[in-house]
Amino acid sequence: MAGIGQFDFNLFIKILPDLARGAIVTLKFSSLSIIFGLIIGTIFGVCRIVKNLILPKIATAYVELIRGTPLLVQIMIVYYGLPAAGINLPPEVAGVLALSINSGAYIAEIIRAGIQSVPKGQMDAARSLGMTYFQAMRYVVLPQAFRNILPALGNEFIALIKDSSLLSVIAIAELTRTGMQIYAVTFNAWTPLLGVAMFYLMMTLPLSKLVDHFQRRIGGHESP
Amino acid sequence: MSLLKIVNLHKRFGDLYVLRGVNMEVEKGEVVVIIGPSGGGKSTLLKCINMLEPPTEGKIILDGIDLTAKGVDLNKIRQRIGIVFQQFNLFSHLTALENITLPLRIVKKIPKEEAEKIAIKYLKKVGLEEEFASYYPHQLSGGQQQRVAIARALAMNPELMLFDEVTSALDPERVKEVLNVMEELAREGMTMIVVTHEMGFAREVGDRVIFMDGGVIVEEGKPEEIFTSPKHPRTRQFLSMIL
Repeated sequence: MAGIGQFDFNLFIKILPDLARGAIVTLKFSSLSIIFGLIIGTIFGVCRIVKNLILPKIATAYVELIRGTPLLVQIMIVYYGLPAAGINLPPEVAGVLALSINSGAYIAEIIRAGIQSVPKGQMDAARSLGMTYFQAMRYVVLPQAFRNILPALGNEFIALIKDSSLLSVIAIAELTRTGMQIYAVTFNAWTPLLGVAMFYLMMTLPLSKLVDHFQRRIGGHESP
Repeated sequence: MSLLKIVNLHKRFGDLYVLRGVNMEVEKGEVVVIIGPSGGGKSTLLKCINMLEPPTEGKIILDGIDLTAKGVDLNKIRQRIGIVFQQFNLFSHLTALENITLPLRIVKKIPKEEAEKIAIKYLKKVGLEEEFASYYPHQLSGGQQQRVAIARALAMNPELMLFDEVTSALDPERVKEVLNVMEELAREGMTMIVVTHEMGFAREVGDRVIFMDGGVIVEEGKPEEIFTSPKHPRTRQFLSMIL
């Protein structure tokens, strides 16, 4: 057996399927979380800017609370803390919940900035044609906001893929935990961890490229 | 009874007094042109008329309905008042055609195909051929964009059209094509309130010219009266600067 600091090519080949399975779990959790995060983020992002006394305050509190505390702590609160309040969640549900709530806060800020990036004249025009505030948001402002924030959302998704490695602490067999388990069994650290890093890159690099593409498209004023 | 009646309209943004008691009436079919220096409250007045800017004080009465009263369905009312803006404000993520069909479909609940027919009809009316229907706003010239904006407002079949310096952001050679559309509209009997710096248009198309400055109506009258023998010194001063 190879030493702890050596790269073992045979082992590397052998563990590729396991790592790939771990990467798929990572992608599943990140994808689910970005979808729920988008929903949460859109709701709270809109809440932050509506003309209302309470809603913006609630939304701001949520954003500050989440951004001001570590994701690791949030994950542990959801998984270990909630049962104390009588809410028992399976690790998978707790994982998605924690990641969604976390990314929702960051996405709320992205959405708020996106909405504010749409010229006020768009809302004026929509309202002047008889649309309600909600219709104007839904059909005019938000579609343009989303187009403007696609790069930022892409970056958020990349961050989420990497951050989901923290789910390893609640025994979810995502990519990082898979690597750690292989290390625990083989006592070889380099091989599985390099493999883990490689799989993360395989997920994040194409996304980075996509983000670049969106960024150029916005800069170039191409049609959607 | 006049179509629009504005009574003692005041508008304040914080400490900034923009309108200080405007009274005016507009008859059905009348073309009222509002001129005056920038910052005189002209644009704010238009935005108050369709309640995009709620007045601080005063009444806006359209066809007997006080728009400033509580419980008025402004979304319904705004369908009766078209407005065209200086910056066009076309929906940039939609094609020329979709810009017109979107409000028809979601506000007037007109089915897609019928809405598209209406849109094409109004695009033609403002002199845009069908090929422009699939263009996005940034693919159109300023004059074309502004004509799409006019078509979008007209397609809602409004009783009153408001024009807020609609040629001010255009290249000089594009101004005429927009003014021509407005002139045609006036000839067809549309009730219009036009804020503009185009004095030729004011003189030829306007039934009445209003000179606004400092948030009030300084002087109003027939175009030839205002342009040839203005009574108020402020009007005289303004006209001597620009004519």
